[in-house]
Amino acid sequence: MKARIQNIRSLSATIKHITLAPDAEDSFPAGAAGAFILLEIPGPGRVWKNAYSLVSGAGRRQYEIIVRRVAQSRGGSAWLHDHAEPGQLLEISGPANLFPIARAAQKHLLLSAGIGITPFLSYLPVLQRQNAAFELHHCCKLDEQEVFRPLLPKAPNITLHGSRNSLDLMTLLSAQKLNTHLYVCGPEAFMDVTIAAAKRIGWPDAKIHEESFGGATGGASFIVKLARSAMELHVAEDQTLLEALEDAGLAPPRMCRGGACGVCELPVLGGLPDHHDHYLSAAARAAGKSIMTCVSRAKTPELVLDF
Amino acid sequence: MGLNKSRPIYEKLRIDPQGRAHLIVTDLEALPQDTIEANLALSNIEIWVVARIARGIAASPSGSRAFRSVADLLSHLSFHLAREPVGLRLYAAGTEAFLWDVANTARAAGLGKDEIFLTQAGSLRRRVYCTHCKSMNEDAVANIATCRACGARLFVRDHFSRRLAAFMGVMVDAEVPNEIPEIEVIYP
Repeated sequence: MKARIQNIRSLSATIKHITLAPDAEDSFPAGAAGAFILLEIPGPGRVWKNAYSLVSGAGRRQYEIIVRRVAQSRGGSAWLHDHAEPGQLLEISGPANLFPIARAAQKHLLLSAGIGITPFLSYLPVLQRQNAAFELHHCCKLDEQEVFRPLLPKAPNITLHGSRNSLDLMTLLSAQKLNTHLYVCGPEAFMDVTIAAAKRIGWPDAKIHEESFGGATGGASFIVKLARSAMELHVAEDQTLLEALEDAGLAPPRMCRGGACGVCELPVLGGLPDHHDHYLSAAARAAGKSIMTCVSRAKTPELVLDF
Repeated sequence: MGLNKSRPIYEKLRIDPQGRAHLIVTDLEALPQDTIEANLALSNIEIWVVARIARGIAASPSGSRAFRSVADLLSHLSFHLAREPVGLRLYAAGTEAFLWDVANTARAAGLGKDEIFLTQAGSLRRRVYCTHCKSMNEDAVANIATCRACGARLFVRDHFSRRLAAFMGVMVDAEVPNEIPEIEVIYP
């Protein structure tokens, strides 16, 4: 599906708000709160496919996303920051939703950090319209407070934490009742700390909802051997395993490209995977019997996959 | 009976190590030891029992609380769960109707599947829902029960409703009035 860049607004030197409009059709497919789209971003000799959360649930006349320029960007977010202009056409797919609002929850506790606020921006109007019980705590760096403040409605249950110490995570989590679901979105370290804290006080897995796109930051190159396809491929430093498979003309399973959905899981026959996803359980990671090709790499010089 | 998909499958009572605190409730006077595979000496376990006619209330051991009736226990449970912080695991042990009364109370308080554990113990007596007048009939022990509300003779089916926490009772002599099969005690 084609989308035209309608507007680009800088929220800060590294964060841009981008509005997309349908090119041929009158409207886009509706995306519920928490949905994301995949953007195909043209690069020199290749195409980046990045997942971005829709930040406004309302209206199918446009999709709105917020993009942070990633310091170690492999190219996608840097292109959107440096080369994207209103009027340009991009190929997009979706929306899909791996992070919906839990219907069974009687209260929603939303915890985000940095650019992880984006899915919650689509939650807020829905939760407010439903008059749902919720709390949002957004953490950011001190110098980014003024970037995020205008994005958040002023309300007693919405708090912006501009420094590391202002959110007492343990106290907040421990004070929640049995009827509360937890949603976490942000950088890997924030996700890990928050989810570990919740589990330590007995939060059941089914009430912890998480999403984090990213991790596809590149790394050391390695060789992947494909047992069924009888192929041997080189995965470059700035290339993901999934991209290496696709560049070789294969059609491996994939969807979100951000380590969240679990669709791209492939069985590992040899070598040690270096997991960067948010899908596999701790036990499955340790077992090393499967890998999410979109974000994970190899700890060994070679990886053998059943594909 | 094992082929009936509406019949839940119960397991022995095991403490979930992921939980921060544990509450065990039973409609029996004491926990049935043969259905328990757990170390109940752990510090963060509380046990609620039903000691009818206030028998033994004063003697209940520490970490344990006795209630006068199932209704009394369930109303305290509802109050307790609305105030308890996240991390509690709830275990119910006892008759099937009680288990699902507890499960439904817990679900209304926002507990999910992985926070509630059910262990069947004690009598197999059934709560029977009269599908004709929609009344509940407690403690059916035979294949045929008489509805206390409308007087219908009910065949106690194996069809169990978790929502109603009861077995379905359908008129046994609907085809030929007063033709009642032999009554047998099969749910002692």
